[in-house]
Amino acid sequence: MRPEGFASIPRKTIVYFIVVACFGLFAFRLVQMQIIDHQAFDEKSASNSIKPLEQVPLRGVFYDRNMEVITGNSPAYTMRITPAEYDKSLSRLLETVIDVDSGFIDKVLYNNRFYSKYLPIRIKRGIDFKAVSWLEENSEHLHGVDFIVEMQRDYPAGIIGSHLFGYEKEISPASLEKEKNYYSPGDYVGNSGIEKTYEKELRGEKGFNYVLVDAKRKETGKFKDGKMDKPSLKGRDLVLSIDADVQRVAEEELKKFRGAAVAIEPKTGEILALVSTPEFDLNQFSYVTTKEYLTGLYTDPDKPLFNRATMSGKPAGSTFKIMAAIAALDMGVINENTIITCGGGFYFGRFFKCHGGPHGPLNVVHAIEKSCNTFFYNLIYRIGLDKWSEYAHRLGFGHKTGIDISEDAPGLVPNSKYYEKIYGPNWPRSIMASLGIGQGEVSATPLQLAQFVALVANNGNSYTPHLVKGYLKENTKEFIPYKFNEIRTGIGQRAFDIVKQGMILVVQGAGTATRLKGDELKIAGKTGTAQNPHGKDHALFICFAPYDDPKIAIAVVVENVGFGATYAAPIAQKMVEAYLLKNKLKKEGLQKNKGSNNQLFGARQ
Amino acid sequence: MRIDYKLEDKFDLGLFLSFLILFCIGLAAIYSATYNNHAAAGNFNRQLYWGLASLLVFFIVYYLPTTTFSMISVPSYLISILFLIAVLVIGRRIMGHKSWFGFGSFGFQPSEFAKLGTILGLAWYLSKKKVDIETFKDIIITLGIGLLPVGLIFLEPDMGTTFVYLGLILVMLFWKGISLFGLFIVLSPAIVALSSLFGTVYFVIALFLVIVGLFLFRKDLFFSGAILALNLGAGFFTEFVFNALGPHQQKRILTFIDPNSDPLGSGYNAIQAKVAIGSGGLFGKGFLSGNQTQLQFIPEQWTDFIFCVIGEEFGFIGSIIVLILFFYMFLRIIKIASSTKDEFISLTLIGILSVYFFHLAINVGMVIGLIPIIGIPLPFISYGGSSLLVNIFMLGIVANVYRTRKNYT
Repeated sequence: MRPEGFASIPRKTIVYFIVVACFGLFAFRLVQMQIIDHQAFDEKSASNSIKPLEQVPLRGVFYDRNMEVITGNSPAYTMRITPAEYDKSLSRLLETVIDVDSGFIDKVLYNNRFYSKYLPIRIKRGIDFKAVSWLEENSEHLHGVDFIVEMQRDYPAGIIGSHLFGYEKEISPASLEKEKNYYSPGDYVGNSGIEKTYEKELRGEKGFNYVLVDAKRKETGKFKDGKMDKPSLKGRDLVLSIDADVQRVAEEELKKFRGAAVAIEPKTGEILALVSTPEFDLNQFSYVTTKEYLTGLYTDPDKPLFNRATMSGKPAGSTFKIMAAIAALDMGVINENTIITCGGGFYFGRFFKCHGGPHGPLNVVHAIEKSCNTFFYNLIYRIGLDKWSEYAHRLGFGHKTGIDISEDAPGLVPNSKYYEKIYGPNWPRSIMASLGIGQGEVSATPLQLAQFVALVANNGNSYTPHLVKGYLKENTKEFIPYKFNEIRTGIGQRAFDIVKQGMILVVQGAGTATRLKGDELKIAGKTGTAQNPHGKDHALFICFAPYDDPKIAIAVVVENVGFGATYAAPIAQKMVEAYLLKNKLKKEGLQKNKGSNNQLFGARQ
Repeated sequence: MRIDYKLEDKFDLGLFLSFLILFCIGLAAIYSATYNNHAAAGNFNRQLYWGLASLLVFFIVYYLPTTTFSMISVPSYLISILFLIAVLVIGRRIMGHKSWFGFGSFGFQPSEFAKLGTILGLAWYLSKKKVDIETFKDIIITLGIGLLPVGLIFLEPDMGTTFVYLGLILVMLFWKGISLFGLFIVLSPAIVALSSLFGTVYFVIALFLVIVGLFLFRKDLFFSGAILALNLGAGFFTEFVFNALGPHQQKRILTFIDPNSDPLGSGYNAIQAKVAIGSGGLFGKGFLSGNQTQLQFIPEQWTDFIFCVIGEEFGFIGSIIVLILFFYMFLRIIKIASSTKDEFISLTLIGILSVYFFHLAINVGMVIGLIPIIGIPLPFISYGGSSLLVNIFMLGIVANVYRTRKNYT
């Protein structure tokens, strides 16, 4: 009975037999399971479904730099439907209960038909309490319908912050496709401002509770005793660099205008306030946004949705003279003793007029004080266009600032290539004269101006401007700072010392903003007027204070009102007061109850 | 001189199409299994890329000169052993197994590649002219070549792959022409070793059966005594190895022997797998509509439990199509293997067949409840790059042999 040797017929037959037998057995078993016993298995499968209950985490809140909550959460009810369990004949009734147009529910379900029918779909957010109690009472008859408590944003500190905080919006089909790993239809995601940039930190981690349901879709218990449940993780609480008081004052002062104000702490690049007006009501977004409200926002000629503080580029006007002075001093084409005589204007191809009559012989300090156009018409020709442009770039103009919200416009600083493209190699050199006083093609955003004056105040060094300083660690509530890039302009100290002398004279001497004169705040600044071919000029003011140890740097732009000192400068002054005088009060308060100081203040540097 | 114009003469289209259809069914099943799983959402795309890469591998192997395989047999075996040792020392742990190498985000499983190395190594030795499978010495050397990788993989520990190797060695010995008594010598220590894990009573019963067997073969007393000693040794050695293992590894082996000792683990999966397949019925619940699959009753369904997805969503029709395609493939391989007179080639093909066969038998067997749950992928269908590449490389060898078969007959 010995089989023959290598690959013999009997051996081949045995191998065949084993393969055939195995497949035969499998096929028989499949017939048994899938055809004969199918009914029993099917019942088991139906009686043994798990339903995942999504646990939406609490979104992180925003603290201001003094640990005051400026964006929080409050509860709201959302009605949901799980399509696999839902009977569409209920739609008419439900539509009247939650007060929506007829056909609304079926439309929402139809729009979400591509997603798993076992996952609940949000039908309407913010349903009122009467509807909630009706749903609760009739839950027995409403298969596949439930409601959950979700948190919505509220703003307890009285700060509007519409462009700063930004808003959440129901996720778009396109971004849902991209990130279906995390989001499900109907989820809200940050759509602008900080809510958008820090979405991943703020949202936390969804949790799931798994419950077993029987064939009648009744819950029969926890799946695997809750061993598979995943609790939700709360989102990170962010600590903003915003100072609630400064922000409030700026919002209040700018309310009557179209414009923007940005305040920065020069040493750190931390943004203390960022306001763009007109604002809009974020509460309208955190609830159910009505169509009328949205249409109103879109069609408003003042464009309230537009973030003027970071997006609107305008000629920097006379504030740009500071930039030209720094460039000239650093290059050495002038020094503090160089005199240029103002005879009331400047001639280059045509006559460029100075304002306020001939200023006579001036050095750079007094040229800044008087904002003498003649001096700066001359200066840009000594600097040269490309050098001028290079210095502007080093001081933060002509490119995005890198602020931690996505609304960030680059502005424009032209150079010779720019004009060659438009006019050819023989572009009219007379164009440069206007650039010298910050008019013409040059454009800068209020944020860029604020960053610029912060760089001046801190002698050419700072950090990328940012709104969020860091976050609080989940369990210990310890403050963890985010890291930001350092900015080093590489410009010598001397240039800053000299222009600052000019800037202090603007306010404290015989300059253009002497109404802010005062020893308590020691403001140094520069007024500006951006020419506007479409209407009244825009008023500009940049400043920092106190002069000898700058703690706040501010840029204010008010559109279509005229001269800078009249409208923009007083707003800046109010902001400086809110910041510097409050700090003084706080210090006194802290000294009184020493020791009760909590660790948050200690950790924040 | 003959000139072939027909494609079928050079290219086994049926074999290739079987693979292609199986791979596509696998892709659909992976898509469905990961559809509602956020963590594994990228698996479908990755498998698609691996599939494209594997087509390239297939055609490269297909066009190689057939002599290449005997040339690389010894080096590939040695490299396999080297990698298996290396993975034990520096490997990355995935789910309690130390069987992966990490290269950045890519994982690479040496035990997959070692299958091919072992097949080639065994085929090389068994096809040597002076090797006589009737001698005790050559049986021992063959077993040594085959069991070295087994031992290393067992230490990882990877139970499923260990069984595939044992089956592979057995089938190749059988194909080479081992006698019934030789088969008895090879098999009995393995059975004794296994039964010793179940306890002393089973160990004694197995030994008794061995003595009965020896008596029936009527060999001389000295030889019979040696075999008995070998069996005893195997039993005690297993005991020794088991005690040397860590508690975690011991638990895995015990769970394998008795699935009910861990009812929430593999026992639970066994029940859910059967429910998934049974509830699929004749036509299935439809693509993406299987509630067992979509609600993820069974973890990681895109790997070892992928047959459940097919059974639930494509029903009996889908499952039987998969079985028929594999069946057709296996019959082709046996036919090609027995049509060549070159021993090395024939043995290699039979080795490849047994790897496919044991993977399929263990994988499908466990999900339809015929054998205990052992983690092992379904060839061409389960998600996984290493496994797909090795399987397609082996299929390339089969197609290559078909191309040049006329030179060997």
